[in-house]
Amino acid sequence: MSADRRQFLIGAVATAAGGMALGFLPESAAAADGAAPELTPWLIIEPDDTVILRLPAPEFGNGAMTQQAAAIVEELACDWSKVRPEFASATRDYTAFSVYSVVPQAAAFFGGRSTFLMRVMGLQKVGATARQRLVTAAAAEWGVPVVEVTAANSVLTHAPSGRTLRYGEVAAKAAALGPVAVPAIKPPSAWTQLGKTAPGKLNNPQIVDGSLTYGMDVRVPGMVYAALLQSPVHGGRLKRYDAAKVKAMPGVLAVVTVDPDEARGVAMMSNAPYGYALTAPRAAVAVIAEHFWQAKTAMEALPVEWEDGHGARWASTQQLYDAAVAALDHDQDARVERAAGDVADIHKAAKVVEQTYLTPWCDQAPLEPLNGTALVTADKVEVWHPAQNSQQAFWVASDESGMPPERVVFHQTYVGGAFGRRLESDDVRMVVAIAKRFPGRPVHVIWTREEMMRQGKYRPMVAAKLTAALDEKTGLPSAVVARQAARGHYPRFADTAYFMGPIPNVRVDARELANVHVTPGPYRGPGYNSYGFIQETFIDECAHAAGADPLDYRLRLLATWPNAGWAKALKEAATQAGWGKKLPKGVGQGLAICGWGLNGTAKAGTCVAVVATVEVTPKGALTVRQLDAAFDCGRVMNHDAVANLMEGGLIFGLNMALNEEMTVKDGRMVEGNFDTYPVLRMAQAPKINVHFGGLSGADRYAEMGEPPVAPVGPAVGNAIFRATGKRLRRTPFLKQDLSWA
Amino acid sequence: MGLKLRINGQAHEVEADPATPLLWVLRDHLGMTGTKFGCGAAQCGACTVHVDGVATRSCLLPAQAVQGMEITTIEGLSPDGRHPLQTAWVELNVPQCGYCQAGMIMAAAALLKAKPKPTDADISAGVDNLCRCGTYPRIRAAIHRAAGQAKPA
Repeated sequence: MSADRRQFLIGAVATAAGGMALGFLPESAAAADGAAPELTPWLIIEPDDTVILRLPAPEFGNGAMTQQAAAIVEELACDWSKVRPEFASATRDYTAFSVYSVVPQAAAFFGGRSTFLMRVMGLQKVGATARQRLVTAAAAEWGVPVVEVTAANSVLTHAPSGRTLRYGEVAAKAAALGPVAVPAIKPPSAWTQLGKTAPGKLNNPQIVDGSLTYGMDVRVPGMVYAALLQSPVHGGRLKRYDAAKVKAMPGVLAVVTVDPDEARGVAMMSNAPYGYALTAPRAAVAVIAEHFWQAKTAMEALPVEWEDGHGARWASTQQLYDAAVAALDHDQDARVERAAGDVADIHKAAKVVEQTYLTPWCDQAPLEPLNGTALVTADKVEVWHPAQNSQQAFWVASDESGMPPERVVFHQTYVGGAFGRRLESDDVRMVVAIAKRFPGRPVHVIWTREEMMRQGKYRPMVAAKLTAALDEKTGLPSAVVARQAARGHYPRFADTAYFMGPIPNVRVDARELANVHVTPGPYRGPGYNSYGFIQETFIDECAHAAGADPLDYRLRLLATWPNAGWAKALKEAATQAGWGKKLPKGVGQGLAICGWGLNGTAKAGTCVAVVATVEVTPKGALTVRQLDAAFDCGRVMNHDAVANLMEGGLIFGLNMALNEEMTVKDGRMVEGNFDTYPVLRMAQAPKINVHFGGLSGADRYAEMGEPPVAPVGPAVGNAIFRATGKRLRRTPFLKQDLSWA
Repeated sequence: MGLKLRINGQAHEVEADPATPLLWVLRDHLGMTGTKFGCGAAQCGACTVHVDGVATRSCLLPAQAVQGMEITTIEGLSPDGRHPLQTAWVELNVPQCGYCQAGMIMAAAALLKAKPKPTDADISAGVDNLCRCGTYPRIRAAIHRAAGQAKPA
């Protein structure tokens, strides 16, 4: 459905301060015969020219808030420095008939994505309509034709007479106008701000002076704090605890529990974007106190016993890895994800490559620990939360509190990193579950880093076995069978260029590891981040077996792929990195390309090609010297924001490949903090070159947050192979012996 | 058992267990939330403040240990948020989620006091806080800019 086919009704009202508020009229309300529809403002212009924008997508580091504002300002033509962004209310969206999510499939998404063209066009309409009202009001004030009035930089100008008015001076009159025709919005070719380097993030000044309010910084009158302890074995239950031992400790107000087995929910259809199944609560006990340090101290002193459940039988991580690899040999339970041609005779080929790969559980580890604040009273629940999707969080708060959604008041805060951990809103459920046991006072629940890391929802452990038959003439794979095993499957393996045409005979299947207890979850690039490593390492092995250059091999394999951006990005990264130059033993370059967001079609999403340059000493000390990356997301909405996301995404992906592994002992997650789960620091960050020469100019503005994460690991692994002859088939690399002398 | 603390040039008397880490005294008792909780193990540096001018991680530091010392937090780094580092951070569009950045800026500010013209090696050694978003290349560039140095080769 195109946005243009939808009639937007945009209305305006005067604000108490003498400005103008403007918003989409909800379709259902507007259709009500004769009734004055409630207006929910997206945009407010105050008399002092301040422009308040209420924006649905939360801001957790990807710049979504700034990008939404930029789309409105492209049409509003206001002074950028007057823009003050706020979060649109998920509560209001519900009670006012989806007023912030009126643009289908676009603004409806209360998550982070901001550059899809339909969404941008919806935001442009908000800006264009406000501008048209201002221009019309100014023309009336001066008694001149509307077409003679121009708007720029928060000033309205009548050039023939030289008169000007500020936006704020006519805002109230603009609001009092009857309906104005919604003007046509600019097509991308006419944009003057979107598509350029600027702007920087709107909230930068508040970040650098410490005043930005993250979930952790919420302060509500009467607020108390809670520390929690959840079953150390995922899926376990609370057996007993002794609250009397801590009741007299300083500040302690209550000890409460969360019971996963109790009845909960609201008897109505939910609009939670991800449903409730992924938000299951964990058995937990929490101490509530006047201050967090008191709550944490008492929590540590509280005697607690657990019923571990079946997960405790896994004595070691290796047992789990072995079980996953063993499952690869049982095809009867597999679900076929993609099949083309015939792979029955794959092992009869003259040259066969077959290898097994594994990626471990990884924790998202955003720097702001999980937390949230909730006030439960007899007739409502009020929540202040750093959600990755505020609509999901809103609905989960309703479900856990038992309050119908119109009694859920949800306040989105800024978010100190998410990477998928805050998407499903199991954290909101735990916060409300604790707060409802202490009604009448706002309870700020804070996970310690250890509690968050061990009670995580990890990037799933994935085992895979790939088999290829190589064509005798070209050396390219003529057939591939890809088997996978995981619990919590985020399918991306099938959604890759190689398996969507370039390799004619393909069978991709997947097995669910049902008896694994470790809780899976999304991550930065769910599924993609594992499968990118696996398939790009495998293709490199095929190239090696064929005696081919890894770049040339990939280009030949992609020769029939209809999305030319892949070859362009590969060539750009390789050229910029000086691919093919002679390097001494112990130094190597490796290549990989991965694509995110194809969703079954070729001309979609973003591909990223990475060339890694590494050095490995004979004793096995690894230095990643440089990453050269090129990409194709079609077109770019904000050059500098894309560069920033590329740099960060490459470092995130590098850390995943070098360091990250959550391990298991007697069913319990072992790593609890950054001493045992290291994250790269400044000294270890390689030189990063982001190249824009891979852009195809295709008509899309695809995502940039997730795409850079996957190709880094295989590029580094392939570089290590070329430097040392050692092939790495699992991550993390730094736990493996890289010595070669 | 009032704790006597001197923060950003002002005297504060706080009713708190003297063993409470400075981080939680700042955040919970004094409402100064610019200093962040990230790990509670002096690993990540989100809680970095200056104690007598030295960059210090406050999440494990008992508040009683810094009585009588001059504590500076991100709120007190500059009167108007225009410390050269803060300006450079905005100009180079450094932050992504931003949660680590106050701690980064405090660590960098202490570094620049000790070494007004730091080398890349000085920055790597002096600012070893964690940024999960991976903004290190821009942090490095912003420190050089604040030091009045062109981007190093």
